[in-house]
Amino acid sequence: MSGVSLSARNIVKRYGGVVALSDGNLDVHSGEVVALIGANGSGKSTMSKVINGVVVLDGGQLLLDGKPVRFSSPQAARKMGIATVFQELSLVSKMTVADNIWLTREPLKPNGMVDRKAMREKTEALLDLFSGTFKADLKPDTLVSALHPDEKQIVEILKAVSLNPRILILDEATASLDSRQVERLFELVKRWKEEGKAIVFVSHRMEEIFRIADRYSVLRNGKTVGEGHIKDITEKELIQLMTEKEKVFQFKKASVEEESSGLQQPVYLEIENLTTETLRGIDITVKQGELLGIGGLQGQGQRDLLLALFGDIPYQGTVRIKGEVVKFKHPRQAMKKKLALVPGDRAKEGLLYIRSILENFLLPSWQKYGFPLKMKHARRDALAVSERLSLVMSGLMAPVSSLSGGNAQKVVIGKWLLRDPDCYLLDDPTKGVDVHTKAEFYTLLTELSQQGKSILFYSSDDDELVGLCDRVIVLHDGKICAELKGASLTKENLIAASMGVSNGGEA
Amino acid sequence: MRKFSISPPVAAILLAIVLFLLSGFLPNGYGSDINVAIAQATNIVRLAVFLGVIAAGQTLVIISGFEGIDLSAGSVVTLTAILTYVTVKGEDDKVLLALLISLVVGALIGFVNGLGITFLKISPFVMTLGMSGVVTGLIIIINHGNVSGKVAPIMTRLIARPLSPDIPIPNAIIIWIIFGFLMWLLLERSTFGKHLFAIGVNRVTAKLSGVNVTATNLAVYTLAGALAGFGGFLVVGNTGVVFIALGQPFLFPSIAAVAVGGTLLSGGKGSYWGTMAGAIVLTLITSLLTTMQMPDSVRRMVLGATLLVMISIYGRQRGFRQ
Repeated sequence: MSGVSLSARNIVKRYGGVVALSDGNLDVHSGEVVALIGANGSGKSTMSKVINGVVVLDGGQLLLDGKPVRFSSPQAARKMGIATVFQELSLVSKMTVADNIWLTREPLKPNGMVDRKAMREKTEALLDLFSGTFKADLKPDTLVSALHPDEKQIVEILKAVSLNPRILILDEATASLDSRQVERLFELVKRWKEEGKAIVFVSHRMEEIFRIADRYSVLRNGKTVGEGHIKDITEKELIQLMTEKEKVFQFKKASVEEESSGLQQPVYLEIENLTTETLRGIDITVKQGELLGIGGLQGQGQRDLLLALFGDIPYQGTVRIKGEVVKFKHPRQAMKKKLALVPGDRAKEGLLYIRSILENFLLPSWQKYGFPLKMKHARRDALAVSERLSLVMSGLMAPVSSLSGGNAQKVVIGKWLLRDPDCYLLDDPTKGVDVHTKAEFYTLLTELSQQGKSILFYSSDDDELVGLCDRVIVLHDGKICAELKGASLTKENLIAASMGVSNGGEA
Repeated sequence: MRKFSISPPVAAILLAIVLFLLSGFLPNGYGSDINVAIAQATNIVRLAVFLGVIAAGQTLVIISGFEGIDLSAGSVVTLTAILTYVTVKGEDDKVLLALLISLVVGALIGFVNGLGITFLKISPFVMTLGMSGVVTGLIIIINHGNVSGKVAPIMTRLIARPLSPDIPIPNAIIIWIIFGFLMWLLLERSTFGKHLFAIGVNRVTAKLSGVNVTATNLAVYTLAGALAGFGGFLVVGNTGVVFIALGQPFLFPSIAAVAVGGTLLSGGKGSYWGTMAGAIVLTLITSLLTTMQMPDSVRRMVLGATLLVMISIYGRQRGFRQ
């Protein structure tokens, strides 16, 4: 195989008004592993999507072997020898392992029929690469739906490898693998390197980056801020590179006096040994009026924590509200105990898109308007809350689909304000929200906590957590790996803790 | 500038009026006699009542979304019509009992539909189609014993006759207007209605906003069954006779009436006013074609084509969904 090189220069990618990449750069050559590193929302995944043709870039240049290229689709990138192992699995669960790997590229017999025997043999050869690291029931004919997450991830890797790519992008490919499987993958990566493949390794695990990567490229806020050889840099320096110096917002924290009086506040919520499919024993105590931040990389169990508390998913463990043990089996019960949840995906979980703003505001509250519903009353309440949130709309009867992202998110929050809950569970409420609305949210959160509302606030934006919260717990792999407060609550410590590096840690 | 748009129920009613006016020019139409015209119009609306009531349950399940549909409505109509017929046996004081039986039997069948759909996760199409078969079987069993019965005079008076000799408005239309108002209360002025629309749009959002999605879904199929049962009671009051194929011809038009009335077949949006308008349009077209002595095959084609045209017009108006 001849040498290959890929360069991304000054890549710009916007999603609507949000700039995901403003100056992304990446170079990767035959026989090397480049680690693409960055904090949450720094543009890593956008960068890998630009390289493999999943998104079309808005500016900048991609050079493959020195020649400018433009990928209109992932298929186009694949033809040029670029394959990706996705973290979000791209397998069809009702098809077999072999069918998935060879989908659209099935080996054919001369008469045009699929050559099942050849397909099975080729799949077995691929599975041999990982032999011994998975259970015997992973065979070419196994249905993907019957596999464990780690086995699915292996199939995903093999699918990319089966293309015999020149450039392989591993996007968080190790996240669901166990240590033996990671070992094997790294052995394979070494072999592929020697074969002349170029590998882009996207990972959150510092330890893995230092083991496998030859070079690094750090993204921060959509810009490439550092590139070099991994042997020339330390973990600490990398984390500093990832940490932003300039602050966009001036956050107003509750003042010092209030903070100290907050110590005397009664405990509102106690969580003991909370366990779900992704959480492995969480203990948290939240005081009345406390704004508790939840940090960590995306998908470390933050979502499950909030959903479990709200009664949407089952859990083991004890939850006490004001000393009383509760076990909610449906969000309705949690709402009765004055909890509120702003879910992470407002389109899919928070809103009724084709229904009116009025109905979205009142969905959790209709019961209190009697029968027949007192519509005048309802309209007045909805109007009041829309004014409180300075909602920009053409009228209460307009569908939510007519609102901008920030205003739509205001509706999600507004429907809970109408119920005046004691505790808010917020799942990344400022994601995809414009700067102006973000500032309004921050004010609202501070107000609510001053009114004595307890708030559990997960955010993928580390600045928000550091700027707004008194205390931040960091989740890693379903466990609390650090609790930061006071002087130890800095962005550097937060990022270090998220990455599972120990030098941040306790105060 | 606002885009020109017209709400589907209004569009359907306008279509009905235009068609009716045009029908005056037919060789055997009402011609220039205004009294004949009014009598004909009234009669068409009276006939639309039965379709309209049967389509009420259909409206609810279609609004509830997730391919919601009730294919058992036709056979439930037949079953409760027969039950009414054999219960009443021509006696006025058995009528209330017959009505109660119709509602309960319909509700029970709907409840079983709901159980299958919510707990066994059977798709509404398959579940209600299967139920339609089961109910048809039941009808045959009952019918084998040779149905003997009779509708009561009071039913004929209440359903098939006008309000009074001086006021030539059929009672059925009065019943329908009250029924329409109750449906409006249910859909637009009750928590249940609001929750119904919510589960039709997005069940995750609904659940995370405290809506009991399972209970709402179960209730909606139960209610749809009861409404089909009520439809059967009304139909037999009008025809005065029962036969095995009494209800089935209402099934396709009941879905078409909902669609022509502008209710989104994907759920989450719609109204019963629209369904009423749709029922009138379909009944009008059917009776016009009958007047023109068109064979059944042509009637079916025209009804199908109307449905397609109306839905594609609404589709263009709707703009974007998420």
